[in-house]
Amino acid sequence: MSLNLLFEPFQYGFMVRAFVGVGLVAVVAAAIGTFVVLKGLAFMGDAIAHTAFTGIAIGLLLGVSIHLGALVFALLTALGVVFLTRVSNVRNDTALAILFTGVFALGIVLLASSPGFVGDLNSLLLGSVLAIQAEEIALIAVFALVLLGVLGVFFSHFVLISFDPVGAEAAGFPVAVFQSLLLALIAVAIVISIQAVGVVLVVALLITPAATAGLLTRRLKPQIFLSSLVGLASSLIGLYISYFFGAPPGATVVLVATMFFAVVLIVQKLRRAGGRAC
Amino acid sequence: MTAELALDIQNLSSGYQDQVVLEGVSWQVPRGTLAAVIGPNGGGKSTLLKTAVGLLQPFSYQALALFGQTPREGRRRVAYLPQREEVDWAFPISVLEVVLQGRLVRLGWRGRLRREDYAASREALRFFGLDNLEEVQIGSLSGGQRQRVFLARALVQEADLILLDEPAAGLDAKAQHELADLLVSLRDAGKTIIAATHDLDCLTECFDQVLALNRRVFAVGDPAQVLTEETMVKLFARHFPKVGSAGEVIVHES
Repeated sequence: MSLNLLFEPFQYGFMVRAFVGVGLVAVVAAAIGTFVVLKGLAFMGDAIAHTAFTGIAIGLLLGVSIHLGALVFALLTALGVVFLTRVSNVRNDTALAILFTGVFALGIVLLASSPGFVGDLNSLLLGSVLAIQAEEIALIAVFALVLLGVLGVFFSHFVLISFDPVGAEAAGFPVAVFQSLLLALIAVAIVISIQAVGVVLVVALLITPAATAGLLTRRLKPQIFLSSLVGLASSLIGLYISYFFGAPPGATVVLVATMFFAVVLIVQKLRRAGGRAC
Repeated sequence: MTAELALDIQNLSSGYQDQVVLEGVSWQVPRGTLAAVIGPNGGGKSTLLKTAVGLLQPFSYQALALFGQTPREGRRRVAYLPQREEVDWAFPISVLEVVLQGRLVRLGWRGRLRREDYAASREALRFFGLDNLEEVQIGSLSGGQRQRVFLARALVQEADLILLDEPAAGLDAKAQHELADLLVSLRDAGKTIIAATHDLDCLTECFDQVLALNRRVFAVGDPAQVLTEETMVKLFARHFPKVGSAGEVIVHES
C-alpha cells in the first residue's frame, strides 16, 4: 500500500514533468550556488531574480519569448553590477536595492494593469512547476548542460578569481571577464529556476543547499557535489509533500531545503558541544 | 650603464576617486633588489604597490614602468601577495590548489593545468618545506606557512617581481625572521622583491633598499641611510609609541 502511495504521483504526466523539471534546476542551481555562497552574492541573486521577473512581464506583454525577456534582464543586471562595482570600487547594496525593487515594481504594474495577464502574476511570484511543459523541460535541459559545461571547463578559473581576485588581476589575469561569466551563469541558473519556485524563493535554490554542503565539507568539489545532492533531495521530497498536502510546490521544496540546513546545523552544534563536554 | 629597472616611477600622483594619497613620488628599483616601503598606515604604501601593477589608475606621472613596459604589459611578470585581510582564508581550497593557481596565471586563461604543472607546484611546496601539507585547507595553516604558500605560488608563476603587502603582519618574531631569510634567498635567485611594511624591527634590516613613504617620499636609500632616528620621527610623526607584533613596545623619541 505504502509503495502504491510512493508511486501515486507518477500516474500523472504533469507530476512526472514537475519532478524532472524541478530536479534538474535544483541540481544546477545548487552547483553554481556554491560560488554564490562563497562570494556572498545572495543579495545579488535576489536582485537578478526580481529584474528577470520584469523581463518576463515585458516578454508576455510584447508576445515574445518570456525566457528571452528574463535572460536579457537577468544578464543586464549581472553585468551592470560588475560594471558598477569596478567603476565605483565599492559594493553598493543600497543602489542595487533601489534599482532592482524599482524595476520589479515596474514589472508588477505592467502585468497587473494588463487584463489577461493578472493570473500570471501569482504563478511567476510563487512558481508554477505543475504547469511545466515538455518543451520547457527540454529548454531548461539545454541551458543546464551549457551551464554545467562552462562551469566544468573554466572551473579552475572561477576558483582563482573567487579566491584571490586582487592577486590574479595584478598578474594580468582577465578577472573581470571571468567575474562577468560567473555572474552570467548565475543569471542563467536563476532564469531557468523561476518557473519551478517563483521569483520570491528562487534565491533559496541557489544558496540553501550550497550553505548546507558548506557545513559538511571544506573542499570545494565535494561541496558542489553535496550541494547538488541536497538540492535534488529537497526538490523531490518537497514535491511529494506538495502533492499530498496540496501546498504550493515551490514553497515546500524551499521548506525542505531549509529543514536540511537546520538539521545539519543543529546536529553539528550538538556534536561540537558534546565533544567539548568530553 | 645602470642595471635594468624592475620598477621605474617618476613624479607619480595616485589615490582613490577624488582622494589624493600619493603626491610626486619617484622611485627606481633595479632588478634583483630586495626593497621595502615603510611608513605609517594610510601613508600610501598599498596605493603605491597597487598603482605599480595597474590595480589603481594613477592621476598623473612622468614615468610608470615595470621592466621598461607599461603596468598592463609588465604585470605578467608580477606576483602580488595581498594583505592578510584581503584573503578569504575560509575558502574551501587546499594548499596545493593555491599554488597551482600560480601555474594557471602563468598559462593565461586559455591554459589548462597539466601533469607538469602539478609537478612544479609540488616541487615549490617542497622548497618551502610544505610538502606534507598539500592537501590541507589553506586557512588551517599558521601565518608564516600561509605566507610561504603564497611565495610558492609566486615561484611557480615564474614571476620576476614579487610584491608583498604587509607580509609581516600577524607573524611572530621567529616567523618574521624566517620570512626575511626566504626573501633574501629569492632575491639571490634573481627575483626583485618589494615589501610594504609598517613593522620596522627585523624585516627591514636585511633589505637592500628602503623607501620611507608618507604621502610623499621622506627618504630613500640603503637601510643605514634611511632608518635614522631623525627620518623615523618625521615619517611616523604621531604614530608613537608603537606596539610590535610580538607585543613589545617600541618608543622612538627625538
